[in-house]
Amino acid sequence: MSRPIIQIKDIKKRFGRVEALRGVSLDVNEGEVVVIVGPSGSGKSTLLRCINRLEEYEEGTIIVDGMTLDNTSNINAIRREVGIVFQSFNLFAHLTAMQNLMLAQCIVRKRSRKEAEEIAQALLAKVGIPEKAKAHPAQLSGGQQQRVAIARALAMNPKVMLFDEPTSALDPEMIKEVLDVMTSLAKEGMTMLVVSHEMGFARAAAQRVIFMDEGLIIEQATPHDFFKNPKEERTRLFLSKILHL
Amino acid sequence: MLDSTLLDFVMEERNKSAPGRDLSFVVGSEVTIRQDPWWWLVVAVAAIIVLLVMLLPVPFREIVIFARDGILVTIVVTVTSYFLIIIVGLLGGLGRLSQNKLIFGISSLYVEIVRGIPLLVQLLGWYLASPVIIRNLGDWLNLQPLIEYRANPIITAIIAITVCYGAYMSEIVRSGIQSVPKGQMEAARSLGMSHFQAMRHVVLPQAFRVILPPMGNEFIALLKDSSLVSVVAVGDLTRRGREFMAAHFNPIETWLMVALLYLIMTIVAARVVSYIEKRSKYERY
Repeated sequence: MSRPIIQIKDIKKRFGRVEALRGVSLDVNEGEVVVIVGPSGSGKSTLLRCINRLEEYEEGTIIVDGMTLDNTSNINAIRREVGIVFQSFNLFAHLTAMQNLMLAQCIVRKRSRKEAEEIAQALLAKVGIPEKAKAHPAQLSGGQQQRVAIARALAMNPKVMLFDEPTSALDPEMIKEVLDVMTSLAKEGMTMLVVSHEMGFARAAAQRVIFMDEGLIIEQATPHDFFKNPKEERTRLFLSKILHL
Repeated sequence: MLDSTLLDFVMEERNKSAPGRDLSFVVGSEVTIRQDPWWWLVVAVAAIIVLLVMLLPVPFREIVIFARDGILVTIVVTVTSYFLIIIVGLLGGLGRLSQNKLIFGISSLYVEIVRGIPLLVQLLGWYLASPVIIRNLGDWLNLQPLIEYRANPIITAIIAITVCYGAYMSEIVRSGIQSVPKGQMEAARSLGMSHFQAMRHVVLPQAFRVILPPMGNEFIALLKDSSLVSVVAVGDLTRRGREFMAAHFNPIETWLMVALLYLIMTIVAARVVSYIEKRSKYERY
């Protein structure tokens, strides 16, 4: 719980004339679960995507597990250690659930087919859908697809898991099954950085909640303090809007 | 919860109808005459050809025997060119999507120029103009093999067709790759795959299924356009037909039989394309 596994220092990122991140610094410790909230366009997804370099950034440094993200060759090495789960699942549409879990294991981790298959089967059981191994993504519900996507990321044995609004594209009755998987993952001690507006999850599983707005971190606190007595005016305004829903 | 129970039910029903089989190929996995009625057209055209040859051996049997090497040349030119066109199309399509400005520029220029010139003009250029250029170059460099260069009609024709059709295929490949959602590449890269690995294992297999119908169309169009090579001294089916007609002077029978022979080749090709399409279908989002 002490060693910082992600160190973000003064990251700046712009899309054309829009400043998406205006100097964000953040340390995430090993085993910590951090939930990031904020209005749309506040830069929270961009921050997440910068951590495994799906987005480039202009200024600042990001160090993941002792490796500095820069323009040189170690980008695939870092991505192997950082799993990401997307809002739109992004399962490989031409492969079955099982093949989705096996592909990167075989070609990136160089595992044998047999080993990869065993790991994949165990992970599908862990996320509660062992019977869907042979189903294609289009044959699965949204909640099932997202659980396969989580299992696919876990198959690479990442040290950190990033979640980019994992439940925003789901029907209400499927949100719980995905959050349950995430909560049990948090209990096992996985380091997680979660962009989500699921306040129930933040209360139950997070050690820290971060509020971002206009490309800056406005406030960070424990879930208890964050929801009970937010310090900043903007945080209060934001919370008053989403908690009334 | 209702939703997922319903889905489970549908899945169970599907599994019952195809027990123990890989689900990816359930749809249209057995294409027979029953499932693809167009095979009857193939049978009908084949029957007409056989009947004509048997009942009226003069001139129909003579035409077929005279033109059989032409049929072979047509098939060889078409299949060889098509194989090369796929390679050029893949490189051109990837080039058109390249971040590298030079690669993008070259492949775009290639596509735009080649698409704007008729295939017949390109064929004549490759066959008649390029040997002169090569010989002049040989004179200038004083290289004997270049001075004595003579164009091989079939090879020249295959090059010309490949260059021309490769441009169209590049655009087909480009549109296919672009039809694959960006998230697929991102997901693959986020798992640590290189750009090349992600292309090969994730993007191209999905793009391929999208571009199968236009690729099939290209093959059939190519089979027909291969008749243009008859003007550059390649003894294909069309040229052999013209030679037969010049010797025996029976245009109606000759061109009827040549047309039927092209037709049987194209409709068989169309059926094969349709079969491959049905086999490689999978359920998309």
